[in-house]
Amino acid sequence: MTLAAGVRLLRRHLRPQRQALWRLAGWSALEAAPTFVSGLLIAGALDRGFLAGRPLVGLGWLAALALLQLIGAVGTRQIYPWLAATVEPLRDSLLTAVVTASLQRALKDEKAASGSSVSQASEQVEAVRALYSTLLRTMRQLLSGGVAALGGLTVLSPLLALVVASFVFLAVILFAGILCIMVGRFRTVVLRAEEISATAAPVVEGMRDVVAHAAEARAAREVGEAIQAQAEALRAFARARVLRLPVVTLGVHLPMLALLAMSPWLIARHNLTVGQIVGCVVYLASGLQPAFQVVVNAGGTLLVSLGVILGRLAEVCACAESPAPAAHPPALCPTGHDLDVDGVTFAYSPHAEPIVADLTLHIPAGMHLAVVGPSGVGKSTLANLLARLATPQRGQLRLGGLALEQVDEGYLRRTVALIPQEAYVFAGSIRDNLAYLQPRATSAEIDEAVVAVGLAETLSRLGGDDAEVPPGGGALSPGERQLIALARVYLSAAQIVILDEATCHLDPVAEARAEQAFADRHGTLVVIAHRMSSAMRADRILVMDGADAVLGSHHDLLANNRLYADLVGYWDRTHGEPHADHRLTTPRPLS
Amino acid sequence: MKVSQILRFLGTDVPAAALRVAGTRVLQQSAGQARGMVVLLGVVTLVGVITTVLTPSALGAAIDAAGNREDLSHALVWLAAVFAVTTAATALEDLISSYWGSQVTAWLRHRLMGRALVLGIPGQRRFPAGDLLSRLTENAASPASFFPLLISACATLLTSIGAVVALILIDFRLGIIFLIGAVPAVVVLRRFVTQASQPFLRYQQLLAAIITRLLDAHRGIRTIRASGTLERDVGRILLPLPELHHTGRQVWAVQRQVSWQLSLLGPLLQVLVLSVGGFVLAAGGITAGQLVAAVSYVGLALGSVGLFDTLVALLTCQVGAGRVGEVLDTTPAISPPVRPVTVSPGPGQVELRDVSVRMEQRAVLDHLDLSMPSGTSVAIVGGSGTGKTVLTSLIGRLLDPDEGEVLLNRVPVAQLELAALRRIVTYAFERPALLGATVHDMIAYARPEASRADVVAAAAVAQADRFIRSLPEGYDTPLVRAPMSGGELQRLGLARAVLADARVIVLDDATSSLDTATEVKVAEALERVLAGRTCVVVAHRAATADRADLVAWLDAGRIRALAPHHVLWSDPSYRAVFGTDEKTMARNGDGPTAVPGVAAPS
Repeated sequence: MTLAAGVRLLRRHLRPQRQALWRLAGWSALEAAPTFVSGLLIAGALDRGFLAGRPLVGLGWLAALALLQLIGAVGTRQIYPWLAATVEPLRDSLLTAVVTASLQRALKDEKAASGSSVSQASEQVEAVRALYSTLLRTMRQLLSGGVAALGGLTVLSPLLALVVASFVFLAVILFAGILCIMVGRFRTVVLRAEEISATAAPVVEGMRDVVAHAAEARAAREVGEAIQAQAEALRAFARARVLRLPVVTLGVHLPMLALLAMSPWLIARHNLTVGQIVGCVVYLASGLQPAFQVVVNAGGTLLVSLGVILGRLAEVCACAESPAPAAHPPALCPTGHDLDVDGVTFAYSPHAEPIVADLTLHIPAGMHLAVVGPSGVGKSTLANLLARLATPQRGQLRLGGLALEQVDEGYLRRTVALIPQEAYVFAGSIRDNLAYLQPRATSAEIDEAVVAVGLAETLSRLGGDDAEVPPGGGALSPGERQLIALARVYLSAAQIVILDEATCHLDPVAEARAEQAFADRHGTLVVIAHRMSSAMRADRILVMDGADAVLGSHHDLLANNRLYADLVGYWDRTHGEPHADHRLTTPRPLS
Repeated sequence: MKVSQILRFLGTDVPAAALRVAGTRVLQQSAGQARGMVVLLGVVTLVGVITTVLTPSALGAAIDAAGNREDLSHALVWLAAVFAVTTAATALEDLISSYWGSQVTAWLRHRLMGRALVLGIPGQRRFPAGDLLSRLTENAASPASFFPLLISACATLLTSIGAVVALILIDFRLGIIFLIGAVPAVVVLRRFVTQASQPFLRYQQLLAAIITRLLDAHRGIRTIRASGTLERDVGRILLPLPELHHTGRQVWAVQRQVSWQLSLLGPLLQVLVLSVGGFVLAAGGITAGQLVAAVSYVGLALGSVGLFDTLVALLTCQVGAGRVGEVLDTTPAISPPVRPVTVSPGPGQVELRDVSVRMEQRAVLDHLDLSMPSGTSVAIVGGSGTGKTVLTSLIGRLLDPDEGEVLLNRVPVAQLELAALRRIVTYAFERPALLGATVHDMIAYARPEASRADVVAAAAVAQADRFIRSLPEGYDTPLVRAPMSGGELQRLGLARAVLADARVIVLDDATSSLDTATEVKVAEALERVLAGRTCVVVAHRAATADRADLVAWLDAGRIRALAPHHVLWSDPSYRAVFGTDEKTMARNGDGPTAVPGVAAPS
């Protein structure tokens, strides 16, 4: 049950704050002192003072009450630092958990978390902070006031206290039951609100497509359904709130009526004075009643909102918890950097056509390999397999003779670097971005990397490597971001570099320069080519055609592989010389 | 003072007055929705106010009756009735406001969504996606809270006034004492509102910084995965956290100041009234029950102290409603024709006459004339930023020209019914939007009634069938679980355009992510399917231009030439449009080499 999960989450994050909570409780007790004695002092003021014709005595009693209220105010004042000490660390630890969980989920399933769900999670942490602090502030003041009032009532008249307490007890039980229903309904409200976002976002972001295909009516209908669903959920929640009616009657009104109904009998048999009756009424009216009503009205909504939001956060944090690592043989570091692909088959799911079928490939250390093929054939998937970001269904991948699954994680990540098409540039200085994989890089090494990949011009335009990149990348073009990512990997200690169309936003000149830089650098280079010019620069080329693959040099493939010749042939054909007949009869001279 | 503070706090920089005017209008229209419910709410609230004000005196009467042992049952019944009506009124208030609120919010959201769709692409420039979404989800809910808040604020005010009046009625001295004591409370509260805003704004900024960093990391998730640097990235994202903590503590410090002073004020006031009342009681002016009532009235009267927060909340609602009103008040740039004309049958013959489009003070298209013969394929060629996409947007009225007109089969497109026009002209884009739930749904988004066979046929033309079959659930794979490369996505967009079976098909850079081989296959398949239809292709590559029947060379806002590619190829400035590729080729040494038996173009 998500409410239980949410409560567990809260308890886990509050555990370090135990001491603060105890102090809070202590000062709350002091704060509640005036409520505890208010009825008694008022009863005394009336009986001994005003009703006995001695107003000054009455004033004295009231002065004592005022003094106690001053002490109570001191208690209130002292509570705040402890409130802060409870709430602020809670927010810190929740935010950390949410950030970590959000990224862990994205690591597992890259399409999972969208922008809106990220900001929703952050807003929910803020909501927890606000709700929790309101809860603590209001509830503790009023709850302790309620408990203190009951205590004072017991001193005045134990019998009355018993009667009132039983009513209150019944009301609390009833409330607890209603709370479960309200939590469920409110949860639906929150979920439906998220669905509106989820339905409207693709429409709003893809407005051009919706308009161009005259699909406005359909889009409006789909979003409209989500809107209506949320409105209905709000109404259902409102109906659930009506259930608070009997709770209030039971816990607030019936005790008061019972007290008044019993008072003649109490005055006659138990020697209760009018002043004491007034004192009891004061306890009920100023102590118990406000406490109860706040708990039921605001507290109901507060507790409900808090419960639901905590439940959602618990879901977010739970999904991301990685399963217990399976029993593996100890992680080893291989010798050598030869990559071996041995009979590897990979498909997205058991029913789908395999992307890669029974592929066998040997990539010795230092080779410059280009992977070409039609769009969607599986080049990126191969890159993922080589970097152990995906696991094949059959076959094995080996690094330096050792199976990839057995290689130490840290060693693997340091040795094999994959640069995807979407370059990751984060908020910070450019130097931070460049030294991301090699924190101990010297300025000389950084400059060398910058010059090698061709980032020097951009860097001087931006003002050197101390220039700050704002969140979101700022004024950097996609090509410049790719250059930063390239320089970063160039600088790192990676022995095997995989470029997954990592130069697609660069013009052909810049692309050639960057690829040459990596080819000249030590280690293996695997280039998933987008332009055929990348293939022509490589030692060996892997041509992927559907699930088949052929490895060879440019010359060999041109002569023997129809697809490669087509790719190269077509390529050459587009550059200013359309041929009537695209079949090549003569091998073309190589550059 | 307050409004500008709130607006700064909300981060908008629209002039306050205009926003509030728009907000007031939206609020008025919302009030008009289910007027009966609003009136009922008012009535119920009024009843609640009356019974709330009556409660302390009923209580007092019951106490007196208990003390004097006279007519207690009568007093108790009266008290019970007052209690019951108050509770029922409160519950009904809540229920009615929720029902009304949900209705108004839904109505406003429907209108907002509809408006956004009518505003279309020009509207997107004014209201970007994220902004529009926040208006839809958050701001549209503002009017729903406005009226219930307003009514309850009035109720609280009336209750307080009623309580003070009742207090005075019990004994005028009590009323005066109370009023004298209440002034400091108001002063304290005003101080809170002005002081708290500073650290609160800083807090919001820091929180936004953390969220933006998190979003950046999400965009670069593949790199983080490949580098195994998760902990370091989490540390970097949470860098502003200590300062956030510190600012949070400052907010608490301010709240502490106000809170303990306020906590003292209420009870001390009650003691004060109690003291004065006690004297009056001793002198026989009032009864014990009336004294209790007086103390309760003090509590009720102090209820107005929270009205300040309500005022701030009301203003926030007004601003929120204003943000919705902004969108609703925007006139659409593309208005449907007053008297729609049906389009004539026949292939699509597109003509642009003296068309000018200006964007940001720059003439993108300048008195452009272009006549595309029907049933031909025309490639639009030009350097980047010359307005190729703008030109193609005019054909299907995704954009309207500032001057001149666009004609389809000799009928101005502005006179055609919009939905009909969009069925005749279809587009495929460089980055198609992922609309629909599944892959099948995306292709058939505009034609939900299309059968699986039709969709598969369209996908086959776009060379997408193969990779779709390799997805986990084939055509029924939900889009969220179908990871796709740029090339695959483009092919889905092409399939969607093919399925539309239109007379004019516009390919706006729609094959740019495809490698050359796939592009040729797509072009060949399209040629078969589009026989006799007009095809407009935005071309960046010489091969694409070559394949078209005619090339429209767009230069400096006009059509410089309209001729086949090989005819234009002799012009060096034309070759320069495709220029970069040539330079690379020369550097790589694979320049145009003569192949024996095939003549180079002259």
